[in-house]
Amino acid sequence: MLPKDDVLRRDVEKDVKGGESGPGSGTDGAKGAVVRAKWPALLLQDRFAFAAALVLLLVALCAVLGPLLIGDLATRQNLRDPSRPPFSLDDGWAYVLGSDSLGRPVAARLITAAGTTLSVAVPAVLVSLVVGSVWGMWAGYHGGWRENVSLRIADVILSFPSLLLAVVVLYVFSPSAANIVLVLAVARIPVYLRTARAEAAELRSRLFIDAARTFGTSGWSTIRRHVAPTVLPTLLTVAALDFCFVMLTESSLSFLGIGIQPPDVSWGLMVAQGRQELQSAWWIALFPGLAIVITTVSATVLAAWARLSTDPGQRWRRGLRRRGRRPQPTPTTAQEAEVEPTRAVPAGRTAEPGPAASETRAEPTLAEAPPTTPDTLAVDGLSVSVRTPAGSLPVVRGVSFGVRSGETLALLGESGCGKSMTAHAVAGLLDPAAEVVGGQARLEGEDLLALGARARRRLAGPGLAIVFQDALSALNPVHTVGAQLAEPFRIHERMSRRAARAKAVELMERVGIPEARSRADAYPHQFSGGMRQRLLIAMAVALRPKVLLADEPTTALDVTVQAQIMDLLRELRSEQQMALVLITHDLGLVAEHADRVAVMYAGTVVETGPVAEVFGKPNHPYTRGLLDSVPAEQHKGSRLSSIPGGPPDPRSVPSGCAFRTRCPMARDLCATQRPQLAETGTDRAAACHFGKELADA
Amino acid sequence: MFTMLRRRAVSSVIPLLVVVLGVFFLARLTGDPANLYLPLSATPEMRAEFAARNGLDDPLLAQFGDYLGQVAHLDFGESLRTAQPAGEAVLRAFPATLQLAGWTMLLAILGAVVIGSLAAYRPNSATDRVASFLSSTAASVPDFWFAIMGVLVFAVTLGWLPTSGTSGAAAWVLPVVTLLIRPFGVLVQVVRGAMVSALSAPYVKVARSKGASESRVVFGHALRNAAAPALTVAGDLAVGLVNGAVVVETIFGWPGIGKLMIDSVLQRDFAVLQAAVLLTALVIFALNILVDICHALLDPRVRQQAAA
Repeated sequence: MLPKDDVLRRDVEKDVKGGESGPGSGTDGAKGAVVRAKWPALLLQDRFAFAAALVLLLVALCAVLGPLLIGDLATRQNLRDPSRPPFSLDDGWAYVLGSDSLGRPVAARLITAAGTTLSVAVPAVLVSLVVGSVWGMWAGYHGGWRENVSLRIADVILSFPSLLLAVVVLYVFSPSAANIVLVLAVARIPVYLRTARAEAAELRSRLFIDAARTFGTSGWSTIRRHVAPTVLPTLLTVAALDFCFVMLTESSLSFLGIGIQPPDVSWGLMVAQGRQELQSAWWIALFPGLAIVITTVSATVLAAWARLSTDPGQRWRRGLRRRGRRPQPTPTTAQEAEVEPTRAVPAGRTAEPGPAASETRAEPTLAEAPPTTPDTLAVDGLSVSVRTPAGSLPVVRGVSFGVRSGETLALLGESGCGKSMTAHAVAGLLDPAAEVVGGQARLEGEDLLALGARARRRLAGPGLAIVFQDALSALNPVHTVGAQLAEPFRIHERMSRRAARAKAVELMERVGIPEARSRADAYPHQFSGGMRQRLLIAMAVALRPKVLLADEPTTALDVTVQAQIMDLLRELRSEQQMALVLITHDLGLVAEHADRVAVMYAGTVVETGPVAEVFGKPNHPYTRGLLDSVPAEQHKGSRLSSIPGGPPDPRSVPSGCAFRTRCPMARDLCATQRPQLAETGTDRAAACHFGKELADA
Repeated sequence: MFTMLRRRAVSSVIPLLVVVLGVFFLARLTGDPANLYLPLSATPEMRAEFAARNGLDDPLLAQFGDYLGQVAHLDFGESLRTAQPAGEAVLRAFPATLQLAGWTMLLAILGAVVIGSLAAYRPNSATDRVASFLSSTAASVPDFWFAIMGVLVFAVTLGWLPTSGTSGAAAWVLPVVTLLIRPFGVLVQVVRGAMVSALSAPYVKVARSKGASESRVVFGHALRNAAAPALTVAGDLAVGLVNGAVVVETIFGWPGIGKLMIDSVLQRDFAVLQAAVLLTALVIFALNILVDICHALLDPRVRQQAAA
């Protein structure tokens, strides 16, 4: 048990690292090596894949050792007692699968045929793998005309049905095992060529190949050292799938009488033979077919497994499969258990502004402490976990904040601190792998997280709306922007197509899209980045939401456009009296556009308060560190400081205070006790044992 | 749009020409084409007469010119078996295959869209795992064996369906199902994969954030985006259907082009084989253009590229 867990844990490490660097990491050079070192252990974890590997091993053993074990049993005729049904065990195990019309035992023929089948399929796959991948890497690495010509050739071969190609060639040349291998190999070379070329071309555009080139390394050695190791795992997966294809094609050819010729025997040929005696001896056709199915299915399963194991972006799914059933995993480690107390942490903002608030905040509910201006959106102790193969991983750990109508609250933090996850949880848009494990998000008193899907949908738009970061991927590429902008009206107000379109044009004009009427029929890719972001904002504010969550709305834009978008958001906020939650990592943006700020670190809010006050005198060492790392006029000439280290991995958040390992003020207490968000002044709070000291200093 | 089609047509003419060329050279690669066109038992006199009649004593280039002229007129010579023009035999067999393949693709695509979407809607759910396992099995079943087992169970044992022929709806069941099983298995996986990524795309989240119902999210937003990769694969599978047609038509005695090809191989009727191969290449050429048109209809970005 122990070693297995250990493997599991190391897997996750790779998972998370791979996940962070995004889908592009599928071609990381180190990946192949890591997988190679661990694959037997990985294989043992997946029962399906393990069984598949065993089957293939058995087939291979039959092919290699078969002739030694059974001798000429496969061709020994027994005309006195032909067509024995399966399970005739009178003469020992030889006739367990029956015998054919010449009395030859089916089981022995199956084993002999395994050898023939593999002796065609394996060389064919190897030849096409080697030729195709070397050719593809060469073409992809060099690009230009070599690439074009190679791809053209691949197109020509692939655009012609492979069985037909084989039929024609085997017609002209005699059908022998060598010819079949050759035809099948030629037919499949393009598959590897294309795959290897695509990967090599992608690598070509990467920096480290450029570096190798500048050092004057020759083309082939660059390919061997840098391209081949990266491309290989993908190619092997393709090869496993291709093995099925080649095997099926060979058996089809043999079945049709233009493949393996008697007296040799292959599985396809056995099926053809069995077809003649289908009515009297069904077993002759049944068993070889089953052998083909089982072998190809095994190869497919193994290929799928290999794809999952070599693609870090896919691996989390395997974890889901095993653990996904339990919606609320029990915390197993000390760190996870620590999340519990924070659920009781009060809303980030003092419900009752005033010095007395400190005491009453212990058990804050809206009923007990009616605030003067109620928060439009009050998030309280929100916790979100992500399911991974190693179990549930807390990424948002008791986040609390509140925002009022007409106010902008900035949710500030480094990437990976859980701020986007918080927003998505509130909006009910979490990925299937993530789930809310605790807390509330009240929109005008109604807990969004407790609502059913239908009630949720009614509020999506008029109640709460969200603006996404990357407007290009957030707009549906195949629908006109007019149709997408009209959708909220069609859904919530059941408007006619025409009326909704008029509203959409109105909205486009409002957010400053020129020639809105004609542009409504354009598609997202026909707009500039800034215009797309405007469209996205227009879509979000269409139904005058009470709360607008803006998730890094300007990150993808250049500075001038950024300012325009922020101005637009500000205008709309005051116009519609929305509560705006601005999720960002940009301190400048916060300083300029937000009224209040909630600073997040390692999945929790560490400090809240009015922006000017928090930035003027931070009450948490993390906030202070953030501010010190910004170049500013008053620091001119002095050395720019930065926080040592990096934000913690969600899997290994330090015990006690998550920030203590990077904190200049850390003491023993910080390691044992997790600081709660506590009052440090009027309308201010910090989650630091020394927050009060910092405030008073 | 038309610019794109013209460009695409020009670029796919190359494979077509390669096939035409390939057939010409294959016919001469074995040395004497008489070996291909005439039965093995042909006498030397027959061979000499054949060579003179077909201009095989002309220079190679002249022969190629003649050959191209013949191909352009769909004149592939006479069938050895029936002494009829080979082109006619192929054209007669063609509709049967087209009908069979058409129904198969239609059913495979419809079924795959439904099942693939269902599986993708909740990744790793029980539905998904069952669908994934069954589809990957379906994709690796040898069609000839599946057909024979179908005959064994439904025709021989139960007597519900005929073993061969084209008359009546019952005769269509086994051929269509056999031909369908592999493309269907592959397509389910492709649709599932495309739908999983479409459903996790930001625009789907945006649609949900607008309060769109789940059916609107799946059919209105995700499916059309997932259609493009599925369409590409469906096109490849339709080309591959020729493979299946050869097997299925042989087993069920379907009077289509696949059976014609195998029969002409086994009886060494090169004229017919050549005509069938060239017609198949032509159909594949048309199919590729059809797929491109569908792509352009589905995706405005493709339309714009095409216009540029």
